[in-house]
Amino acid sequence: MVYPLVRRLTAEGRMRDAHWVSLNPTGPETVRLPGLTLHNVRMRPQRMAGYGRTKEAIWGTIHGLNAPSASAGLFWTDSFSEYAYYNRLTAERIRALDKEEDFDLFYIHDFQQLPVGQMLDTLKPKVFRWHIPFDADTIPEEWAALITSYLDAYDLVIVSTDRYRESLVRFGYKGDVLRFYPYVDPAEYARPTPGEAAATCAKFAIGPEDAFVLVVARMDPAKGQDRALLAFAEVAKNRPHLRLVLVGNGSFSGAKSGLGLSKADRWRERLRGLAEELHIADRVVFTGHVSQAELDGLYERCLFTLLPSTNEGFGLVVVESWLHRRPAIVTIRAGISELIEDGKNGLLFDPESSSDLARQMVRLLDDPAELAARLVRHGRTTARKCSLEEAAQAESLLLERLLEA
Amino acid sequence: MAFIPTEYLPFVYVPIILVITWLLARLTSLLIASVMRSSNPQVVLGARRLGALVVWLVGGIAAIQELGISPLIALLFIALFGLAAILGLRPVLENFGSRYFADVYSPFKVGDTIRVGAETGKVIEINAMTTVLLTEADTLVSLPNALFMREVVTNLSPQAWKELTIPLAVPSVVDLPAFESELLKSLTKLRLRLDKRFPPVLTTRARGPQSTDLMLTVMIRRPEERDAILADVHARISDTLGRFTGRASRRANAGESSAAP
Repeated sequence: MVYPLVRRLTAEGRMRDAHWVSLNPTGPETVRLPGLTLHNVRMRPQRMAGYGRTKEAIWGTIHGLNAPSASAGLFWTDSFSEYAYYNRLTAERIRALDKEEDFDLFYIHDFQQLPVGQMLDTLKPKVFRWHIPFDADTIPEEWAALITSYLDAYDLVIVSTDRYRESLVRFGYKGDVLRFYPYVDPAEYARPTPGEAAATCAKFAIGPEDAFVLVVARMDPAKGQDRALLAFAEVAKNRPHLRLVLVGNGSFSGAKSGLGLSKADRWRERLRGLAEELHIADRVVFTGHVSQAELDGLYERCLFTLLPSTNEGFGLVVVESWLHRRPAIVTIRAGISELIEDGKNGLLFDPESSSDLARQMVRLLDDPAELAARLVRHGRTTARKCSLEEAAQAESLLLERLLEA
Repeated sequence: MAFIPTEYLPFVYVPIILVITWLLARLTSLLIASVMRSSNPQVVLGARRLGALVVWLVGGIAAIQELGISPLIALLFIALFGLAAILGLRPVLENFGSRYFADVYSPFKVGDTIRVGAETGKVIEINAMTTVLLTEADTLVSLPNALFMREVVTNLSPQAWKELTIPLAVPSVVDLPAFESELLKSLTKLRLRLDKRFPPVLTTRARGPQSTDLMLTVMIRRPEERDAILADVHARISDTLGRFTGRASRRANAGESSAAP
């Protein structure tokens, strides 16, 4: 998400000589691109494993997936010292680069790098972008002081929704908090020809007579694919040609070249088991990772999309769905739900109730023409709020404000 | 040495004396570090430097004597210079020294609200000579550091008793991320004695070509354990720093570049 923005701001002359420091254990130390230099931070596998455990534990807790016992004492573990190691390594790399380049501003993205701000001993502006949900009530009391001290090291924090902004203020953060919606570049969403879409469907054994509902999400319990299966089992009983397509694989954390965890594999097996139990295994397609062209083809052929996450920082797949002219049914636990008016630009459901999701699916299945058209028409208007254009404008104003100050 | 003419012998002995002095200075420094391992790392560093300086002074005098110059002249010169410096710069040295000890032993830091004598305010600066307070009336009060050694200082910040702030200097040759990681790992052993809501945090205070000045903050659970925990934390810092400094020296001696993280 960040790279297209950097590219756009650089192309418009609003940013120049950007440097990007990120974790990449297999990449070369430095990669030069036009207007941007990538610096890969590398760590030994043992350290990566500890860092990964802490990162996953924080992620799971913030998403409300972990039991309180899982978060207890996390900041006192050896794994946490590896998380601190990675952050210090990143901060030191940034500091060394700053010595050479004399940057104007530091823009730190997401919780994996949260301590960097405190470790960077600079008086230059430091901005932190919190990409995951921020709900003060899900942050364990034991973590509050440390997270507050990390956040306080930044001059400004950006969150993805108004709800997170209010929560962050309630949490006690005293700096400026802004809300910028995450964004996509509409220009990147091409409409495939019917032939291309049919070829993609054929690859996944979806016949021309089959209609299907699409879920595009990483294989992760937080993404709630199990909710989709339960609801699908209810609505599919009387619809023999209806299928459910689950697109997505593991994340960087789950990739063999990444942090070496296997959460995605475990979750996929669990979902397969659930599909068997529900007697819908033959009607559920697990595509794994697909190319952008294949994804475009699946969007083109689906009836509508589901975002069934139990907790979702934002949910850009909904915007993608709108851009592909497909209506979306969205969990109320996704950040983007605050942009959705039920029945106008989307349908909302409570992820705790698969019946609620099934009810909304039936609404769309029973009234495909009129309701879908309305949801798409208004959805596409809403999508403009989450466009690269809007983001570039907002980020430019922010940079101007900080640098002029 | 029969083959070296007598008049050239001092030029042979002086380098030997200097090498021996260097070795003794290193040995003294290591000995002090070992004996003072549970003291504040800044104090240990100062003591190691002082010990090495004394050894170098003795070695230097021995070398001067070997060259045929009376050591008394050198000693006299040093003594007079020292006396003049002490008399002339007494207030400066007093404040400077107080700053050093205040940094190590005074229970306050920038950001705390303190009371010293009749003055109360938020500490906004601690420099070599003075500590600057911002009072509630929005005025600045500059207090000589020496005052903090004479007056009762009250830290009014909430739960100030919990907080232990320990300054430490990490030599530039040490791999800072690895050092921090090891130190945090070592400090987790004290978790039952520390406030579980506040894990130890290392913040950077200043950077120089030789070292990075850090501040370790830990929060204790029981006030009566403050001294014992402080000594334990000092020992852990000294041990970790010693290991990393030794590793860096061995790498330097072996002519290796720094190892991959």
